Amino acid sequence: MSVPTRDEIKDKDRRNFMKLLGVMIIGAGVAGTLRSVVQNIIPPIEGGASSFPILTLYLPNGNPVSTDDLIVNNPQTVTFNFPLENEPNFLLRLGDSNNKDVEINPTEVRIPANNTKYKVPGGVGPYKSVVAASAICQHLGCIPPEIHFNPPSSSSFPGKIHCDCHGSTYDPYSGFGVVTGPTQAPLPSVVLSYDEKSDSYSATLLVGPTIYGHSSDLTGGSNITPSGKTTVTTTQ
Amino acid sequence: MTKENLIEKLMNEPQPLPRKVPDYMRQKGGIWYWTGAMIMIAFFYEVMTGVILFFYYQPSNAYISTENTLHIPYGTVIMTTHLYGAYIMIALVYIHLLRNLFVGSYKKPRQVQWLTGIVLMILTVAISYFGYSMTGDVLSADATDVGRGIANGFPVIGSYLSTIFLGNGSDISLFSRLEGWHIILAGSILILFAVHFFLAEYNTIMPSAKETGFKVPAIDKEEPSYKAWYPYNLLYMVQIAFFTIALIFIIPSLLTILPNVPALFSPLPQVAASSPLASSVPPYPPWFLLFVYKELDFQVSTSLGPFWAVVLFTGLPLAYLFAVPYFEKKDTLKITKRNIVVSTGVVGLIYLFGLSAWGALDPGIPVSNITGLLFFIIPLAVVIPLIYYLANRIELGKSSLGENAWKVYAILPILGFISILTGISVYSVIVYPTFYNYTAMIILLVILGLTSLATFALVYGVNFKTPTKKLTDKGHLVFGSIYAFLAIAIIAIISVMSPTQITSQGLYGVGMALLFTLAGAFVKLYRSHAFKE
Repeated sequence: MSVPTRDEIKDKDRRNFMKLLGVMIIGAGVAGTLRSVVQNIIPPIEGGASSFPILTLYLPNGNPVSTDDLIVNNPQTVTFNFPLENEPNFLLRLGDSNNKDVEINPTEVRIPANNTKYKVPGGVGPYKSVVAASAICQHLGCIPPEIHFNPPSSSSFPGKIHCDCHGSTYDPYSGFGVVTGPTQAPLPSVVLSYDEKSDSYSATLLVGPTIYGHSSDLTGGSNITPSGKTTVTTTQ
Repeated sequence: MTKENLIEKLMNEPQPLPRKVPDYMRQKGGIWYWTGAMIMIAFFYEVMTGVILFFYYQPSNAYISTENTLHIPYGTVIMTTHLYGAYIMIALVYIHLLRNLFVGSYKKPRQVQWLTGIVLMILTVAISYFGYSMTGDVLSADATDVGRGIANGFPVIGSYLSTIFLGNGSDISLFSRLEGWHIILAGSILILFAVHFFLAEYNTIMPSAKETGFKVPAIDKEEPSYKAWYPYNLLYMVQIAFFTIALIFIIPSLLTILPNVPALFSPLPQVAASSPLASSVPPYPPWFLLFVYKELDFQVSTSLGPFWAVVLFTGLPLAYLFAVPYFEKKDTLKITKRNIVVSTGVVGLIYLFGLSAWGALDPGIPVSNITGLLFFIIPLAVVIPLIYYLANRIELGKSSLGENAWKVYAILPILGFISILTGISVYSVIVYPTFYNYTAMIILLVILGLTSLATFALVYGVNFKTPTKKLTDKGHLVFGSIYAFLAIAIIAIISVMSPTQITSQGLYGVGMALLFTLAGAFVKLYRSHAFKE
């Protein structure tokens, strides 16, 4: 074997230096790729709360919602988010066809999907006529204005919550139970509490099936900030 | 002796895989032999990012789960590059097709390879349609509505086709099916690609015209001077891969950072279909289907219905492409002796560009039969005589086109497209003389002038080649060190950016694009240093 010349040794060193540079450059690219892929596939801890917050309902002008702010059989849709930012709920003050408050009694509601029952507390407020429930249709997740409350005076589905997407109908007078399909589950009811002294309403809990599109009522969205209050919105 | 069919030949004479290729395919201009390789790289990039996206996609909750992906660490980078990787793959498929049409590689013995290529193009457009519709945003709703309209028009079994591909009408059925077909088509592309690739190896890469003397069949005979696949070709492939991936990263990342990107090019999902804002988004299909979209506005399409309009306007060109290798059988590869294929190719390109631009500017506005007919006839009447005239001049030796011939043919459709745009713009200045229209017209006239100049220069054989300097041995080391320094600096900068903020993810994508560009540039440098290539 011949002894390598100085030039050959120099060439080899240069070649190795180039290879080292290559490892650095391509390594940087690989590191950037691996880092993003690994960080991406780690399942995120879903935003949410560990327990139901108690949120007082506020008007957009900053005052708490009082009984007089709620219109009996309001044809407009009034919603508030609870317990998370992306979970809207109907806020209804129910009345009869003469727009006189109707007292809503506690009731038992059946879930047709698995044929189980759960208890829904009655209305709150001075006339026990204010109720609330999730405004996300349990069939395929349509939200207002597709799903909306028809006042008792309207011609189609009077006194019912009807979803225009596929025709699911719920009865707000008896715990938002299923009237017609295709939905197989009632709307989850919000348990409201009423403070007589300050004439204000708070959302405290959800009962019934899980809100559509969420793995539990408390996950899959972000918390409502600032804590302790949620603002109602009114749409046509 | 009976003639062996293709399958017998493939089975009984296994070919060396991968084949060695001549050196000029790795040198300047050699990239035209690797357009298929670039498609393959884009496809594998799509498969990898697609698999990652499946971790988070929920057909029961399509829109919300798509939106949520943007806020998962690096989700925006992965999702936007998945979208633009598909766009780039489609663009490369079109380029690959046109290149092979113009150089004549559909001829013997590559007819079957050409047919599988056309099928692969159809599958690629189809998989992109399904993928694009999976987001559940307003554009996806528009696309699935149009898709249902076309499928329902299929005689007798239309409603079955519509439900097979797009579900029974409920959202969960629609998005589960879109997801299913998206995967099925990816698998089909992979299988057919394997066939296409094996045929390419079997038939060899078509050698340059210089080697074959424009004679059919153009087969590359392996010579002892050919260099080994490893490391010469492998490193070249790695270089192409890095540059292709850099391209896939840079475009969507820049579009993510820029404000007010129009819906047609935005890499992010639009508003939900159920949102009240949905009506403010123009109902665009993806850009690569804009031409179909405009065709549906034609008066004749309205009377035919969407299905027969699609059959007429996309079925005919496809049937033509399938038939090309079987009616154009002359045993010459000279571009000047294939005037029919070349001129229809150029006219087809003008139609494609023209209809796409028209669809983007005037979406959904009906076109009368006369306007439509004029649109189809004018390019035909201009281009065919022009091509015959050019071919004749070249044949008679009056023009020294030679090597530049294909460049002339490539620039003609661009010239035609710019002429159409300039015409529209001059018309709009006459009708609405606003500052904006004047500016647009002046810019377009300048571009038209430059393009005409370039065409003129190419036709009359002006040589653009500039002498290149060879780097010294030390020069390589200096440049390599600069690249390495830049790479380390970029990875350091992007590693501290927030992985969940959409804009900082866009910047991360730009950084990754620069890293891949550096990696590609380094491999090029290394090849020049080690192999003197």
